[in-house]
Amino acid sequence: MPLWRQVIFALQRDARHFQIFYLSMFLVYGIFFLGWDGHLDRIGLTIGTCLGVQAAFIWRHKRRWTGLKSALISSLGLCLLLKTNGLETIAIAGLLTIASKFFVRIDGKHIFNPVNFGLIVTILLTGDAWVSPGQWGSSAIAVYFMGAAALLVLLKVGRIDTSLAFLLTYLGLEFGRTVLYLGWPVDHWLHMATNGTVLLFTFFMITDPMTTPNARKARVYWSVLVAVLTFVLAHAFHLQSSAPIWALFIISPLTIAFDKLFVQRKYEWAT
Amino acid sequence: MIRSLILTAALLLTYSLSQAFCGFYVAPAGAELTNKSSQVIIVRDGNHTVITMANDYQGSAQDFAMVVPVPEVLGENDIRIVQQRIFGKLNDYTAPRMAEYYDPTPCQTRMYMSRANAKMSAGSSFEDFAEINEEEATDLGVVVEAEYSVGEYDILILSAKESSGLKTWLTQNNYSLPEGASEVLQPYINDGMKFFVVKVNLDNQQRGAFTNLRPLQIQFNSSKFMLPIRLGMANAKSTQDLVVYALTRNGRVETVNYRTTKIPTDRDIPQFIKTKAMFGEFYEALFEKTWEQEGKNSVMLEYAWDISSQQPVKCDPCATAPIYFSEMREAGVWWISPTGGEGYNGNLFVTRLHVRYGREKFPQDLVFMATPNQEHFQGRYVIHNPAGGTFDCEEGKKYLEMLGMRKRRELDELAALTGWSAKTFKWYLGDAADVPEEVIELPQLPGGGETINRPTGKAPQRGKEATAAVEPAPAESETAITTTATAEMTELPIPAGLTNVDLDTSAEDFLAVAKAEASAPAGPGGHWMLLGIALVMFAGGIGYRAYHRKST
Repeated sequence: MPLWRQVIFALQRDARHFQIFYLSMFLVYGIFFLGWDGHLDRIGLTIGTCLGVQAAFIWRHKRRWTGLKSALISSLGLCLLLKTNGLETIAIAGLLTIASKFFVRIDGKHIFNPVNFGLIVTILLTGDAWVSPGQWGSSAIAVYFMGAAALLVLLKVGRIDTSLAFLLTYLGLEFGRTVLYLGWPVDHWLHMATNGTVLLFTFFMITDPMTTPNARKARVYWSVLVAVLTFVLAHAFHLQSSAPIWALFIISPLTIAFDKLFVQRKYEWAT
Repeated sequence: MIRSLILTAALLLTYSLSQAFCGFYVAPAGAELTNKSSQVIIVRDGNHTVITMANDYQGSAQDFAMVVPVPEVLGENDIRIVQQRIFGKLNDYTAPRMAEYYDPTPCQTRMYMSRANAKMSAGSSFEDFAEINEEEATDLGVVVEAEYSVGEYDILILSAKESSGLKTWLTQNNYSLPEGASEVLQPYINDGMKFFVVKVNLDNQQRGAFTNLRPLQIQFNSSKFMLPIRLGMANAKSTQDLVVYALTRNGRVETVNYRTTKIPTDRDIPQFIKTKAMFGEFYEALFEKTWEQEGKNSVMLEYAWDISSQQPVKCDPCATAPIYFSEMREAGVWWISPTGGEGYNGNLFVTRLHVRYGREKFPQDLVFMATPNQEHFQGRYVIHNPAGGTFDCEEGKKYLEMLGMRKRRELDELAALTGWSAKTFKWYLGDAADVPEEVIELPQLPGGGETINRPTGKAPQRGKEATAAVEPAPAESETAITTTATAEMTELPIPAGLTNVDLDTSAEDFLAVAKAEASAPAGPGGHWMLLGIALVMFAGGIGYRAYHRKST
């Protein structure tokens, strides 16, 4: 087999390679086209902390070194979502994110999506961190959808059910409220539906195979639950487009119950 | 029939946990809305919100009216009138500014400086109005919940069941709704909000001898932090400007449902921009171009600064005197305490957002969040005044060479920021037009660092602006520059490269040409890049899977 095919073969075996590619691309896009503050020291610190903590745990627990890919994905997720004043807050977030994978576990499965856990706990603990839900604007639907679809088709992670169940439920509820009940024109709803933060969440956070229920049916119910809670938080508590992140945090512990009710083998990353 | 109506919008959700108020836009129906700038001060901590709306209505006295949706029936103590000058002060304090430096003469050593800022104040005027027929209200599903007289205003709080009933009631009571506005009333009614209807009480107005309609301030508790702009968008084609001054305890305010982007800042611009008229034109062009580049749907950050009592540097450069305790109280900041004199104790952060919105690109009301973001930001444009004196020493020759390079760069910067044609201003290069275009490392000039406050002094004699005395900021003015601080300055000779140029007249004469030749701004290309990559990946993935299946 020629070398280029070996390389492609090796790359396409693991879904995480594509996640790394897409998340990096979003970061570059945000900095160069959306005018985010692209402080290299902050990006470097985020990635460095995550990889460092992961490496320490791998060494200590004699795990596979391929786990570093997951840490890189988590750090890119933090770069995309987390905003802080102080550099130390970034380090705390990186530490919490990775440590949650090793300490907050039940039956060998970590409970929270690491980035989700890192974000929420850092915001609550430090008071120095926040998420900017408006940073993507609302015109990037095609981009995200295509990117995410490419990722999911390519990689057979098999979590498109989670994304679709969440998106259909949440957007359906929003449509009912804004257009049918309140009587706003459809573009009012569309503006919300194309919010970049919601789409990033839908395709890259909620789909994490390690922290979603193992059985497909369970995942669909679970996603619907996240969507309903997102809707409630968005409007009753005015969390707006950061609501899904909070909803996921609250629902995540239920994954254990869903796995008990719907038994299926735990997901394993290709190595 | 009342001929004009000023609409202000507010939003309240029907959920028991949620209340919302709203902001507004103020414009007489049927009037040209473009390039009009409304101003709002929002003070918020926890769920308590104080909103002050500048009254920029400009029309005949009888025509004034305003409809403001509110989250609840406001009590009489929740409504008050404040002085217009608080807007002038906040505007002066936070407006994009010009920082001016004076090059030291290379063959002697001396430094001068002055500063200026751009102002965008709204004027105000006023009027009066007609009788309300409350008896007809009930039949139309409209209920008069409360009625107050506050200063020169008569205020009613209405609730409604149907937009058609409210529309009819308003029409019968001599409020003329702009076309399209009644459609937008229904979502607000469905949200269960009340309508705060304002007219001028002519008797009170005349008794008080008010020359202007003063700003109205209201307060309420609501978990939602937003300003409804939709009601003011009756005219779908035009855009309107809104400047929001947000005062919070902990940090910067940003929009949640639109991007908040920083206006380009800290740029070196040519010396001829420093006249009042030119700086105003420059900033307007810069804003327009940035807004277009950002897709016309972004909210612009113009200023963000921590002005807490313990913060030693409350602005840099300062365009006006610090904001005093009494002014903060007037604006509605309730959590600071006085320390004697005009000082205050407490945390305070000011954010200035500038929104240019229209129906197409802003389908939702503005929703904000207060972040802990402490980063300072200001729109700041730097002018370097060339040195005077003789240039016959070695340093002098190097300086002239550097000056030519710098001017070329300033023109390029000007063109990039405003879209104006740099060619038109080529005269600015003077003799320096012959300087080669390669980049030359600039020598470090003494005094080229941060600006500092200096006592007021005499400005150098070059052109009209240079002689401008320090003057207090006018409360109402068009876009203008006021020199607010100057250092000790002496008369300086004009450097070699500028001898035959009258800066002020040349710049303004050429401006019209430069604008005509302005290049069209490039739209955001990033989406297409990403979409392209994603498509290639998608096609590659499908292809690879097909190939893989076939081969296995």
